Amino acid sequence: MSKRAVDMVFQATYTLTDLRMILRETAPTHELAADKKAQVERLLDNLERQVGSLKQEMLK
Amino acid sequence: MRCGSGIEARQVDELFINIDPIQAGGRLTSDAMKAIIAYGDGYSVCDNCRKPNRLDYISKPPIAEFHKDVAAWLNMDEARMMPGARRGFQAVAHTYVHKGDPVLLTALSHYTEFLAVEESGGIPREIPADEHNIITADSTATKIEEVKREFKRPPVLAFIDPVDYQYGNMHDVAAIAKVAHQYDIPILYNGAYTVGILPVDGKNMDVDFVVGSGHKSMAAPAPSGVLATTAERAREVFRTTAIEGDVTKRRFGIKEPEMMGCTLMGATLVGMMASFPHVKERVKHFDRELANGKIVIDALLSIDGTKILSEYPRKHTLTRMDTTGSFDRVAETHKKRGFYFSSALNEKGISGIIPGATKIWKFNTYGTTKKQAEYLAEAFVATASENGLHVNKQPFL
Repeated sequence: MSKRAVDMVFQATYTLTDLRMILRETAPTHELAADKKAQVERLLDNLERQVGSLKQEMLK
Repeated sequence: MRCGSGIEARQVDELFINIDPIQAGGRLTSDAMKAIIAYGDGYSVCDNCRKPNRLDYISKPPIAEFHKDVAAWLNMDEARMMPGARRGFQAVAHTYVHKGDPVLLTALSHYTEFLAVEESGGIPREIPADEHNIITADSTATKIEEVKREFKRPPVLAFIDPVDYQYGNMHDVAAIAKVAHQYDIPILYNGAYTVGILPVDGKNMDVDFVVGSGHKSMAAPAPSGVLATTAERAREVFRTTAIEGDVTKRRFGIKEPEMMGCTLMGATLVGMMASFPHVKERVKHFDRELANGKIVIDALLSIDGTKILSEYPRKHTLTRMDTTGSFDRVAETHKKRGFYFSSALNEKGISGIIPGATKIWKFNTYGTTKKQAEYLAEAFVATASENGLHVNKQPFL
């Protein structure tokens, strides 16, 4: 297994951690203002990319 | 959802606004959570431990640098990370207090300060609080004189809390230290509610020790904390081992007996380190925290019969309320009795109030956003209105 796969596991976990923090900052309603929504979109895009790379690395 | 056999995943801070008085300042930063993921294994910070084999000498991750930075940030000469503020009290008490020695505490001191004194065989003597629940320099001087008359000598150590855990009131440690030093009494500043919350300058206050709590006020995992001191006191409390085995003739290098060797060896330390840049920044903005706290307090005080027991206007976000004349009146006839209050708040997404408490209770708004503070204010007022309590006009809503 490659170092890249390990990096992707950490990066994806960190991205999820950033999403977790947004859930904390916006509790209990989790209503997202426009800037937060944009931040969440960016994080989810990153997460998809990271999971995609992980699939490539671990299932090749 | 579970994170292990029989262990529910804790989601309190994701699902609720948590105003538990002891939890607010210890909530992790995103970086601390990430550090824990990477450094969760037991001896994870020891990969690059080289001679002289002591935690505060490790340079990768930058633990040595962190120790220096923390000491400088508190304006002290040396610092050690500790498994909680209480272990800092213990190290200092064990160094200076011997059986039968009088030790100065206050009427608002935390129990762990008493336990540290007890373990060393000391005898606690408390400086009384005044009618506003403030510890003053004058009452300190009076108490020292009383102790001198009783023991024929002054106390050997004084524990002073700049912000106490009961009321969140602020006490003038610099003025108290000035009095204590006239009697050559070393002062331990218990910053469990200040270090990591607001600026702390040890030398400016002329204290001998600054103790902080990582898990209470530095956005760090438990148990973590800091003990910082002057160069002079460091030689005493951070003295190195002198013991030798009689058979093996082993000696133990520069390990420090009061630290029991190395202290925080994994996720706790790296969690503290990861939060530290954020903590250094956030202490500069304590005014914002007070402003958010004021939104909530104003709302509570708009409810007829509600009183604040802490000093007012507030200087800290930990606050003690008396709702005997408001929420407790409802409890007398409510089918859930006193549990209706925390239950109603829970339903509104608020946690941290002791279930059943409707007379005297504490909360802490530290770390809430302005929007969350406004939400809290509205929730308290709504709970009052729903239960027939009169609410006066609130300019904040």
